[in-house]
Amino acid sequence: MGYLARYVVLILLGMQIHAHADTQADNSQSLKPGDMVPDFTLPAVNGFGQRLQEARGSYLMVIWLGHCDECSERLVRYQLLAESLEIEGLKGWFVWTPGGDRSPPNMRLPVLKYEPRWRQGWVFKDRPAIMLINADGRLDHLITGDLEDNYQETEEVVMRWMSQGRDYQRPE
Amino acid sequence: MKYLLMLILCLPALASAEDAAVREEVMSAKETVLELNRDLYELERELLSPATTRAAFHITLNHGEYFEPLSVELSVDGKLELQHLYTERQVKALRMGAVQPLGDLNLAPGKHDITVTVRGVDHQGQGRELTITEPVTKTGKPLITELLIVDRDELQSARLQLKYW
Repeated sequence: MGYLARYVVLILLGMQIHAHADTQADNSQSLKPGDMVPDFTLPAVNGFGQRLQEARGSYLMVIWLGHCDECSERLVRYQLLAESLEIEGLKGWFVWTPGGDRSPPNMRLPVLKYEPRWRQGWVFKDRPAIMLINADGRLDHLITGDLEDNYQETEEVVMRWMSQGRDYQRPE
Repeated sequence: MKYLLMLILCLPALASAEDAAVREEVMSAKETVLELNRDLYELERELLSPATTRAAFHITLNHGEYFEPLSVELSVDGKLELQHLYTERQVKALRMGAVQPLGDLNLAPGKHDITVTVRGVDHQGQGRELTITEPVTKTGKPLITELLIVDRDELQSARLQLKYW
């Protein structure tokens, strides 16, 4: 009987762990403004890895890159935007996904690299995308689509977002 | 009339006694829940990592003048079991003497090959990799291991060392 109870507890624990992993994977795909962003740690191609939880207390702009092979030029404006607002507490991270013989962009801001082998990370499916995450770790704004086309909108939203502090963009 | 007055005067005292009894019951229920929670935690730990198979791994950084870790991977008998990515803050904590619990594993009693690879940068900013493979014999007692990253001043580099507690 004792063994039976142990097996039941083990199965339940296993199911719980499995369900948690599934939830995390789903979260990364179905995130919408107002949601808490699941924690991740990703290695960087230009320095230390970054962990989302450690950025709590700052405004964070995470730029998920789509197809990017040395696409530094396309990202310069985003880098300048993040750097110009660094004094106000904004941090900027790029997340690059390797593929084929692609090379990462060469930036001053952290360029994080997503590789499935690192279990502490996840990737946002709908790339390219820009996530504006507030100091509590909540997703305030999500802008998807081509980065060059969306720069103007991003700049306006970031300026408004930073000036207003909390400004949850509610889905219509 | 007197009885009615006495009854009215006694009512608050009765209510307060009732409140105290309820509070006591709530406290007792809370204690029971805490005990149950502790028992469940112990049961979970015992089931997932019983002493006979428990192997715990920790990491420390001695000075870290010649090497800064960026990631660590630990394999047992060729199978990747534990991994960790470091942030700057975590490396600072290691430099200050923190002992990082890398994780617990279940290892069957017997001989195993443990391979640890730590990737990082040296004091000149160049990428470096420290690797160690060591056979270990797991007995019926818990295996508690410390992975030390130690500076080698004479070579201006670092090495990886396993220490068993």
